[in-house]
Amino acid sequence: MCGIIGYIGEIHATDGGVTGEAADDDTPGSVGEIVHRGLKNLEYRGYDSAGVALVGAASGLTVAKRSGEVGALSVPDVPDATLGVGHTRWSTHGPPTDANAHPHTDCVGDVAVVHNGIVENYEALKRELSDHEFTSETDTEVIPHLIEEELTGVDGDGDADLLAAVRRVEDRLEGSYAICAVREGDDRIVVARRGSPLVLGRGEDAAFVASDVTAFLEHTRDVTYLEDGDVAALSPDGVEIFASGEPVERETETVTWEADAAEKGGYEHYMRKEIHEQPESLRQTLAGRLDVDGGDVDLDVSFPPGFLADLEEIRIVACGTSYYAGRYAAQLFEELAGVRATVEIASEYEFGAGRTPDRTLVVAVTQSGETADTLGAVRRANAAGARTFAVTNTLGSTVTREVDGTAFIRAGPEIGVAATKTFASQVATLAMLAVAVGRDRGALAAADARSVLEDLQGLPGAVQQVLDEEKQVREAAREYRDSEAFFFVGRALGVPVALEGALKLKEISYDHAEGFAAGELKHGPLALVTPDTPVLAVLTDGARADETMNNVTEAQTRGAPALGCVSAGEEFGTLDVSFEVPDVGVVEPLVANVYLQLFAYHVANEKGRSIDKPRNLAKSVTVE
Amino acid sequence: MSDDPVTAVILAAGEGRRLEPLTNRRPKPMVPVANRPLLEHVVEAVTAAGIDRVALVVGYRQERIRNHFGDGDDWDVTIEYVEQSTQLGTGHAVLQAEPVVDGPFVVLNGDRIVDAAVVSRVRDLARDGDHPAMVVTTAEHPREYGVVSLDDDRVTGIDEKPEGPVETNRINAGVYAFSPAVFDAIRETHATGELAITATLNELAADGDLTAVGYDGRWLDVSNLWDLLEVNAGLIGESPESASAPPTLRESVTVADDVALAGNVRIGPNVTVGGSTAIGSNATVEAGAVVENSVILPDAVIGAGAVVRDAIVAGNARIGPNATIAGGPATVVVGDAVHRDVELGGVVGDNASIGGGATLADGAVVGDGVRADAGVVIDGRVESGAVVRRG
Repeated sequence: MCGIIGYIGEIHATDGGVTGEAADDDTPGSVGEIVHRGLKNLEYRGYDSAGVALVGAASGLTVAKRSGEVGALSVPDVPDATLGVGHTRWSTHGPPTDANAHPHTDCVGDVAVVHNGIVENYEALKRELSDHEFTSETDTEVIPHLIEEELTGVDGDGDADLLAAVRRVEDRLEGSYAICAVREGDDRIVVARRGSPLVLGRGEDAAFVASDVTAFLEHTRDVTYLEDGDVAALSPDGVEIFASGEPVERETETVTWEADAAEKGGYEHYMRKEIHEQPESLRQTLAGRLDVDGGDVDLDVSFPPGFLADLEEIRIVACGTSYYAGRYAAQLFEELAGVRATVEIASEYEFGAGRTPDRTLVVAVTQSGETADTLGAVRRANAAGARTFAVTNTLGSTVTREVDGTAFIRAGPEIGVAATKTFASQVATLAMLAVAVGRDRGALAAADARSVLEDLQGLPGAVQQVLDEEKQVREAAREYRDSEAFFFVGRALGVPVALEGALKLKEISYDHAEGFAAGELKHGPLALVTPDTPVLAVLTDGARADETMNNVTEAQTRGAPALGCVSAGEEFGTLDVSFEVPDVGVVEPLVANVYLQLFAYHVANEKGRSIDKPRNLAKSVTVE
Repeated sequence: MSDDPVTAVILAAGEGRRLEPLTNRRPKPMVPVANRPLLEHVVEAVTAAGIDRVALVVGYRQERIRNHFGDGDDWDVTIEYVEQSTQLGTGHAVLQAEPVVDGPFVVLNGDRIVDAAVVSRVRDLARDGDHPAMVVTTAEHPREYGVVSLDDDRVTGIDEKPEGPVETNRINAGVYAFSPAVFDAIRETHATGELAITATLNELAADGDLTAVGYDGRWLDVSNLWDLLEVNAGLIGESPESASAPPTLRESVTVADDVALAGNVRIGPNVTVGGSTAIGSNATVEAGAVVENSVILPDAVIGAGAVVRDAIVAGNARIGPNATIAGGPATVVVGDAVHRDVELGGVVGDNASIGGGATLADGAVVGDGVRADAGVVIDGRVESGAVVRRG
């Protein structure tokens, strides 16, 4: 997973190439600065190396790249540059070194390419290019050399068309990619998309291309999502898009959400900001969708008549935090919608035997809508003939174009690599879907639906109450920060929350943390329990608190400190720390999770970890 | 006259204890009127005056402020935060802003709403930089504020909350123009206990160095809970279209013109929303309820058939079905002071739950997190976290 950006615009001495209303007084002026700023906006996609290539009529092609964060890259001053591309990398092929950073160039240094994705047949291609000199270990580097061959091979003097060359090279690449190519002496950026996201931004006298609109949202809101197989040329005269060699028109949409919602504001970390945004993001998730009086939900989704009534199974496919949201939802589907529900890790998903495709609904849960493993699962489900559905945060994302229906979680952009508010909004959206399916199937009485909807309605306020107790969590984090390991336990809806709580802590604090179904403690993990391994338990409604407490007591008798998230009005006197969870029924474990998010954050913060960019992790995993 | 950009320093670190229980979980500047925090109205006056750099001095419950304003892009300003970790007075608060102020600046209170016009005037004075300046307005109860003595357009003294009779109703509006020289002046001010900005201003006034800026425009202060209803009504009356995308309402619902509804409120059938009412995000008003001259904060639920008049229902509070806050003049005790004949039906704190059929006597103030059983009658003040049982 990587982020790419390209920018082409007129040169203005003072305010760069961006004009019109979208231009901001603070906008950096030169092409290099605009590309650099775009990379900073994309840093969540990867941050182990970064680089830019700038092209000017007189200065030719200038490349600068290095390992390290985008901020560490010094972008050369090229006053006559009219276009540039940039890349922020998260290593897949070859370690993060200066040489492996993008852009990559051809032998003579005329062509520069940035790439997001994987060229699967790069070894074979590299063998074919045996007379070319390679300087990196990346799969990407074959692309500029292939372009070089096409350019020199057409008429021998290196004066061929970049667009035609990219089109021909694209035919030879296998795998997934989004690429941007530039060439000395050419006033265009040529881009191609297959399997990796790529979006065009249309300014007044400027055009952008990037992996994600956040890269350029401060400049323009008019965007065009490229489709798989599209090749486009951005030139001073505008943008031309081709599919299968023919010019095509693609719709231009206006992005309405705020790029600045993706900025850190007054917080020291995006993660803490995003944890605190949850009451508001949940209000957005729920807005206009709950009909409490009528005991129904309006998610603006439709299924063929009779499909839900005949449904045999809902299979949720997801990865990481989204997978835990799926685990939470599966229990709600069974309880509220009366339908068998299973959850598969997307990379492990196969349609499997003994299932009827037209009576199976496969629900893909992915924040970015670009998660390669989840997209792969959707494609396998589609191929098997199942109906597919996506729950995602990202309008226009790839998954939305590959499924039969989508519900958006409306959580707003999430920048911290550790997912927080999107987990809450995913579970809330899936809970609404469970109510909608249950009502449609006649499995859920209106009165029971109403009670669940009231709990959902109360979710933002309950989360706010938890946030108001942050000080208590910070104190607990200080007390237990240096523990040897942390164990998270729960039952029923508390299990996915325990798993998510452990994931959050391990990914940002690098501590050993594991989540278990509480009943499993005695079947093995109890051997790990010592006075130096606190146990954090979900002890709320929907999580079989009393039984879980019995397991917690087992750990306590081995000396482990115990911290619990406990329903308001309940009390477990032996807990070392008790966090109160407001009364919101089946979403209480979800509210308890906010305590676990804060706990993870404060343990990591006490230890001075790189919270928004944990080592070895990136936000949107677009490789399998 | 220089063209230096002027920074607005807004003091928002205070707690605002007189507005308890609303300020138990949010700083006073985040108490909403017309569905937007007091502080947002102040920030808007500042931006309307052409100032695009704001330093927010925050302290108590600052997450609420940071969360709402972020880096200020939604208001087209650059917001920087400085922390006043202990409340040692307004002078101390202004000092905290020193690292982010590098030229002339204006100071405002985050909980007092003023017009953009007066901010413009003070901004110009700050830019001219001759003398520090202070906005002087008039108040009905001057003794609750700093009473100002003038000699022409020079301030000669500020008498903070004077005990005895006063000769004038001119008060310090809490809006100032300063140059960075004031930081030294604050440091050199002799003060015992709290370091109030007025102590420094008095020293400047004694030297004849403090210019008065007369102002008779809008100056809205929410000193007491009942002021919130009045200020809310006033602001909604000015611009009733506070909802960016008003919710779709059933035909059976009656909504007065001067009402501010957040876009995602849920209004059940046969509900009546009377004038001067603001209902916040994700709040629910169930079937047949009547809400009038009230401030309903986000996530609150007004149960079916409930009557809520002249009331404040805080965040995520639940008013049970058929509960009654009848409204009307009341006697309210705040600390040691008894306020008679104030327009306050009742206040329900954050996350409190009032049982079905319960009644709040006029002026009752229910703390946050209170659980009140069905059918109880609540009179006076109920401490936060208390349980009210039928007995």
